[in-house]
Amino acid sequence: MLLDIFDPKAPPTPLGIDLGTTNSIVAYVSDGRPVALITCDGTPLLPSVVHFAAEGGVVVGAAAVGRATREPERTLASVKRFMGRGADDPQTQELGSYRFLPAKNEEERRIVRFDTGSRVVTPVEVAAEILKSLRQSALDQLRKVGGVVITVPAYFDDAQRQATRDAGRLAGLEVLRLLNEPTAAALAYGLEKKQNGTFAVFDLGGGTFDVTVLALEDGIFQVRSTGGDSALGGDDMDRALAETLLEKMGATDAASRTPEVVSLALAAARSAKHALTDAESTEVELPARGGADIRIRVERSELERLIAPLLERAGRACRRALRDAKLRAGELDGVILVGGATRVPRVRAYVAELFERAPLTDIDPDLVVAYGAALQADMLSRSSDEVLLLDVLPLSLGVETMGGGVDKILPRNTTIPAGAKATFTTYADNQTGFELHVVQGERELAADCRSLARFSLKRVPPLPAGMARLEVEFHVDENGLLAVTAHELTTGATQRVEVKPSYGLDDAEVERMLIEALDQGEEDFEKRRLVDARVESERVLLATEKGLRADADLLEPAERVEVDSAIERLRGALTGVSPAAIQAALDALDAVTHAWAGRRMNRAVQSAIEGRAVTDIERRVERAQGVEAHLAQHAAGKVS
Amino acid sequence: MAAGTPLPSADGSPPPLSDPFETLGLAPVFELDPATLERRHRELSRALHPDRYAGRPSSERQQALGRAIEVNEAFRTLRDPVRRAEALLVRHGRAVAETGGVPADPSLLMQVMERREALGDARRAKDVAAVRGLSRAVREREQRVLAEMAKAFVQLPPDFTRIEPLLGELRYHHRFLEEALAIEDELDAKPA
Repeated sequence: MLLDIFDPKAPPTPLGIDLGTTNSIVAYVSDGRPVALITCDGTPLLPSVVHFAAEGGVVVGAAAVGRATREPERTLASVKRFMGRGADDPQTQELGSYRFLPAKNEEERRIVRFDTGSRVVTPVEVAAEILKSLRQSALDQLRKVGGVVITVPAYFDDAQRQATRDAGRLAGLEVLRLLNEPTAAALAYGLEKKQNGTFAVFDLGGGTFDVTVLALEDGIFQVRSTGGDSALGGDDMDRALAETLLEKMGATDAASRTPEVVSLALAAARSAKHALTDAESTEVELPARGGADIRIRVERSELERLIAPLLERAGRACRRALRDAKLRAGELDGVILVGGATRVPRVRAYVAELFERAPLTDIDPDLVVAYGAALQADMLSRSSDEVLLLDVLPLSLGVETMGGGVDKILPRNTTIPAGAKATFTTYADNQTGFELHVVQGERELAADCRSLARFSLKRVPPLPAGMARLEVEFHVDENGLLAVTAHELTTGATQRVEVKPSYGLDDAEVERMLIEALDQGEEDFEKRRLVDARVESERVLLATEKGLRADADLLEPAERVEVDSAIERLRGALTGVSPAAIQAALDALDAVTHAWAGRRMNRAVQSAIEGRAVTDIERRVERAQGVEAHLAQHAAGKVS
Repeated sequence: MAAGTPLPSADGSPPPLSDPFETLGLAPVFELDPATLERRHRELSRALHPDRYAGRPSSERQQALGRAIEVNEAFRTLRDPVRRAEALLVRHGRAVAETGGVPADPSLLMQVMERREALGDARRAKDVAAVRGLSRAVREREQRVLAEMAKAFVQLPPDFTRIEPLLGELRYHHRFLEEALAIEDELDAKPA
């Protein structure tokens, strides 16, 4: 008999999480290969459905789906659609069985609030419940979980990304990285197939559509362009079919479309769509007006007719991504399919026509994204350098100009991390303030783009119009998250404003939710801070020791003494229980290694360039030998 | 207080803080082999991308992030011939003023206006083929300008009296091509 032996000193396992509109998946890497974990539902796919029970308590997954028809307003599905979205967003108003709470003020207008009867929740909290469930499954099976990589649609804007990261924090996860879903899928394919070339990833998920063109070369995945529609997915197919089912049921007016009836029609539409993957026609049973059940026949051709306009929207995004990458469809080396909705035969046929080739389907389209996320989490945790992902900004970032136009500061498809500066000036004499409105999107008018932040810089010295200078700097990190700095540089007395765009929940609110979510509130929160500080310290100590083994020669003797003593102080702090003391010692170590870190980066740059130079020389030598050999043969020929 | 929306300043966006050629360790020439540029970008990304610093102290991660941004920005600058030419002018201490600098050649201006009008007509007629045809013609013209610029940059010292008007023309062509692409997107989104 095999005993399950658990090594308490085993390192925590990094996780990859695909937080999907319809299903969510958690995976990890075992012996170099990604494996999807079984969730609380007994399968790798956990329906992204959360039920807030009347008696309190939260149910996630299939059990929540089961309660959706009986108590639709307490059961939230497809919450990913609402991440980082305001109550006024057109998508918020689409066919669904939710009850929204009206926004009381401007801040509340930036975030949707669901009224579940017993509790008012935001999409971030709902997503956090899904993540908590996945975390628990991972803990049950792996005992210790490490950092996580959570995937997001490439087309997610800054607000949607921030909301996702906050959901991770709220679920008690250490979010190492947000990774774009298509890039994750390509990673899963690339590592297994080891092929170089240019690929397109066609990702039709439950609620979002993404297309990404990327080049794979020497272990670097470089995204060339990305595009999509953050409001297009398999759910829309269900909704289109549900709409015709509702008509056949006689539920034609708003009064007859109760949340229960809509929910039943949506469920029937979904099962019909699944059945039509293999069958030419299927039947669903639904209650008709008056109470009797009716059977409705659905043909595959009818579904295909209904989804044609949806596919056309996807097609437009694909053509634009190809134009942005300066490629023709025929020039691609392959097309990867991602997302459950790509199982629909018409979708596959459409992709084949669009890209002039049959798509790759070797890896399960439902699991491929989670696999890629797990591989990335594993590589980040091991500081592996075998693969590097170079992603892009999906949507242009800009500032509103006079007259409501947009001045683009960073165009879409710029490789991230990215940064750019722009200077602005006053338009009126003696203007003493700047109002800055940061937007994201491709439309010409700021009002049509996504509003990310508004802020003002006051106390600008009164000067004639056009004299004052305001410098605005945008920084987008590797997760696609934006930070804006503005400073006024007319008078030498530089004023600086730093802004983090907000989608309706600020850091303080997320922290408050975090405390509320814990049983013992403040006390547990302190415990968690201690655990987090310890984990971070252990990692930094490990990295510093590794650095000392490799690059100690880059430290001056005096610096070495400082570094050693900072290490000792941190070790000392780790024997205690004060998160603040640990953090202080960590910051001190950080400070004394800063200059050294810069030198180590220079060395890394040198060796990256020289490494290439050496291979170039080798290649040249090889070619020279080739010529010599040829000459030798030639000489030999002459002699004979 | 009259707080209001800022206007872009007359001198356009400021030049990058650091010299992109130096950031990427490449010789400051106009004719840059795209493959060499891409390879160097990949090499430096390998060394500086924040993912390579995942387990490091936070200030070290910040430092890597800053340098990776600088590398990406240099790459973006040198990949674009207009911005590459501007970076070279900055190196030679020349102003890169977009407006109020070099007066455009009247015959060029005429041509540009005619093409713009044709583009507007094609947009209204929702004629994608015409938009593409105009783009093709402008791209051909752009290639000729690039070849001339390369020649002028090779001279020592570079022939700025030729380069500056050529750069102005190149900007016109670029803007035109960008607009044509945006129109293609728009026509694709709203089929006739």
